[in-house]
Amino acid sequence: MRGNLVIGAVLVGLTVVAALVSFVWTPHDPTLVDAAHRLAPPGGDYLLGTDKFGRDTLSQLMVGARTTLYVGIVAVGIAAVIGTPLGMLAGMTPRGWLSELIMRVNDLVFAFPALLLAVMLGAVYGAGTLTAMIAIGVATVPAFARIARAATMQVMVTDYIMAARAAGRRGPAIALRHVLPNIGSMLIVQASVSFAIAILAEAALSFLGFGTRPPTPSWGRMLQEAQELLFSTPRLALWPGLAIALAVLGFNLLGDGLRDHLDPKLRRIRAER
Amino acid sequence: MLSVEALTVRADGVELVREVSFGIAPGERVGLIGESGSGKSLTALSLMGLLPEGVSATGSATLQDQPLLGVPDKRVKGLRGRVVSMVFQEPMTALNPTMRVGAQVSEVMTLHGVPRAEARERALDLLGRVGVEAPRAYPHQLSGGQRQRVMLAIALANEPSLLICDEPTTALDVTVQKQMLELIVELAPAVLFITHDLAVVASVCSRVLVMYGGRVVESGPLREVFTNPRHRYTEGLLAASKLTPRGTRLPIIPGAVPSRFPSGCPFRDRCAHASPACESDPALTGEGHAYACWHPRD
Amino acid sequence: MISYLAKRVAVLLASTATAGVVVFAFMALLPGDPAEVALGVNATPEAIEALRRQWGTDRPPLTQFLDWIGGLAAGDFGVSYVTSSPIGQQIGERLGVTLTLVVGGMVIALIVAVPAGTFAAVHHRNPLGALISAASQVGIAVPAFLAGILLVFVFAVQAQALPSGGYVPLTEDPSLWFQSLLLPWLSLGLVQGAVLTRYVRSAVLEVMREDYLRTARAKGRGRMGALWRHGLRNAAIPVVTVLGLQLATLLIGAVVVERVFVIPGLGDLLLNGVAQRDLLLVQGVVMVLVVAVLLVNFVVDVAYAVLDPRLR
Repeated sequence: MRGNLVIGAVLVGLTVVAALVSFVWTPHDPTLVDAAHRLAPPGGDYLLGTDKFGRDTLSQLMVGARTTLYVGIVAVGIAAVIGTPLGMLAGMTPRGWLSELIMRVNDLVFAFPALLLAVMLGAVYGAGTLTAMIAIGVATVPAFARIARAATMQVMVTDYIMAARAAGRRGPAIALRHVLPNIGSMLIVQASVSFAIAILAEAALSFLGFGTRPPTPSWGRMLQEAQELLFSTPRLALWPGLAIALAVLGFNLLGDGLRDHLDPKLRRIRAER
Repeated sequence: MLSVEALTVRADGVELVREVSFGIAPGERVGLIGESGSGKSLTALSLMGLLPEGVSATGSATLQDQPLLGVPDKRVKGLRGRVVSMVFQEPMTALNPTMRVGAQVSEVMTLHGVPRAEARERALDLLGRVGVEAPRAYPHQLSGGQRQRVMLAIALANEPSLLICDEPTTALDVTVQKQMLELIVELAPAVLFITHDLAVVASVCSRVLVMYGGRVVESGPLREVFTNPRHRYTEGLLAASKLTPRGTRLPIIPGAVPSRFPSGCPFRDRCAHASPACESDPALTGEGHAYACWHPRD
Repeated sequence: MISYLAKRVAVLLASTATAGVVVFAFMALLPGDPAEVALGVNATPEAIEALRRQWGTDRPPLTQFLDWIGGLAAGDFGVSYVTSSPIGQQIGERLGVTLTLVVGGMVIALIVAVPAGTFAAVHHRNPLGALISAASQVGIAVPAFLAGILLVFVFAVQAQALPSGGYVPLTEDPSLWFQSLLLPWLSLGLVQGAVLTRYVRSAVLEVMREDYLRTARAKGRGRMGALWRHGLRNAAIPVVTVLGLQLATLLIGAVVVERVFVIPGLGDLLLNGVAQRDLLLVQGVVMVLVVAVLLVNFVVDVAYAVLDPRLR
């Protein structure tokens, strides 16, 4: 299934390019309120039309891509940086009390979905991009910890780890030089899948008003603003909806494609067990 | 009773088993030996109608005058488990892990029309005869040998006229192997016994078929084939299995089973006696003790 | 089995208690005093002090926590700082609506996913099976609230067959109740169904390769008969885990979908609570949702043991 990898990479690439280009150029100012051009139809000066404030939809979509990727990168980064070492630690001492503690805490965090964390954070500090990113990141930690633990446990029983241990190498050295490179591919796959989930979560939070604050454009809030105009101007919901679905599809396909692509290696780890 | 004529198994246009013919008389125990990749398991699975997806069999095979090949699965499945049964190689995974073994034995009887209560009673009896008196156990609670005996009970439940065993003892400990073989000899009707272990064949079978490269290369009464092999492959197989005195080199067949066999005699690229004549197909000839070799051992 | 159950119950209770500490501690971090916030900047210190005493927020945090968690165990969530009505009663009214949404969504997801996933696995070599896989992949990429908006557009705006939002209680009019919930159910169920289809497909594919399925066929069963009698229960084991995760996702999805369809469930209560800074209410609803997730995990663990004798 090389197709998965290609389609996924293209969709993700499109999102990234749109976001990068938006730094230097957008057709219009995405936040410019222009009463004269309210709800302008697609075509002409406004390729995808404008919303009820006269803001250009295409420009908003481009900057929205930036918001989405920003939240995704920070959230997945938080999850990977916290989850991976904890998971590796638990995987390297699978029968120790520390491993048990890490996994129990993991299960507990798992009971707090991103949305609840964001609502709680929002209630305390006021909702915004930062609280959304932290909430999504923390809620994603268990996924990384679990995959890192499972992968580490598989690697730990291979011959080369045994050899490294027999040679007197210490835990941290083994973790950095032998375990991490070998579980890297699984973590990359997990990152891609988690990124897709983070995009979904960010969109939902912005939709509810717990994500990115106005006037910064965000796909989720574009949808929320479009909902009341669904009867008169459904296209306003179409574009952000499509953007979310394609970006999520892209990261999911990329993850699947990478998994298939890296599978021979994963299979070898499994066979060596 | 069982008669196989020109059985050929193909996958993606490649012939994995070619023109195999043999018969089994009632009560007879026939061994089918050869290295892995020789086509012995595919031969057995095609008789059961259990070939994997994408693999198909042609030729003819009849058991008690009922066709096994070239008929829809609907008709063959009425024979499976009733007239012909099979015990597989891997006892650890062959039983359903979520079902009690007693239920798994009685299932094969109710499936072929035995009333539920009677099936349950006979399942108890069968499990007793194979020495696993734990009908309420789940497979994971039994050892490999016990599970294989449950498989045997399932296979024999409907008193089939032919039992096919595909390496039934390979995954078992040596002592457990012996018990299992004794049970098969004691309980089974006619048997087609597939193995690569020559000692096992010798203890169970009276006649033997040797397969290589998807073909039967030698067949005949066990004693004759084992003491006086004619095909060069059989010769090598027997030599490789003999215990050799310390210090002498273990004779082996040079090379490994190739992924594609050559045309003509499939063994010629590994055979020390190969000549240009071997590029054409040798026929399986001989009454009783037959072999397909241009340069047979005297 | 008994010791397994006992261990699971112990884990459930411990997690619930810890979750209670986390939720309470989190809300205790709130900058500013709820009484001050409620009375506004012009309130006299005496009035604020009086309100504090009334709510009990003048007591040490530990006392407050023990009081709160003790109340929870008895179903008493305290009194709302904003509306002065008992929170437990409000949660009780809303919980039923949200659970109806979640259960309905799950039922639709199962109705879609079990046949579709099984079909896609059995026919994994032909185009129709591949088409189902592709469709489920697309479905996964659509968040429930977006599915809701799409459904509203098709069934409310275009076809004008169903309401675009609002909720009618079952006791008032069963037919309108059903109509008001159909689109929310579908938005939750179709999306989760797409996710579940993938897991059902891979579980069935896995099981189809198992030796015991070949054994079942050797007994005289057909391909589908063997899968039905021996495959589905075994395939259900991995699917049940996913089902548990999905119930948690559905619960949270319901919070968002309630917003789309203006349905007075727990999500609506929670979001209004945050908007009005009704701290104790938010605390209570979050706790209920967290406990619901923990309960689902518990049920999954037990279901696991029932399905798989190796775990007992």
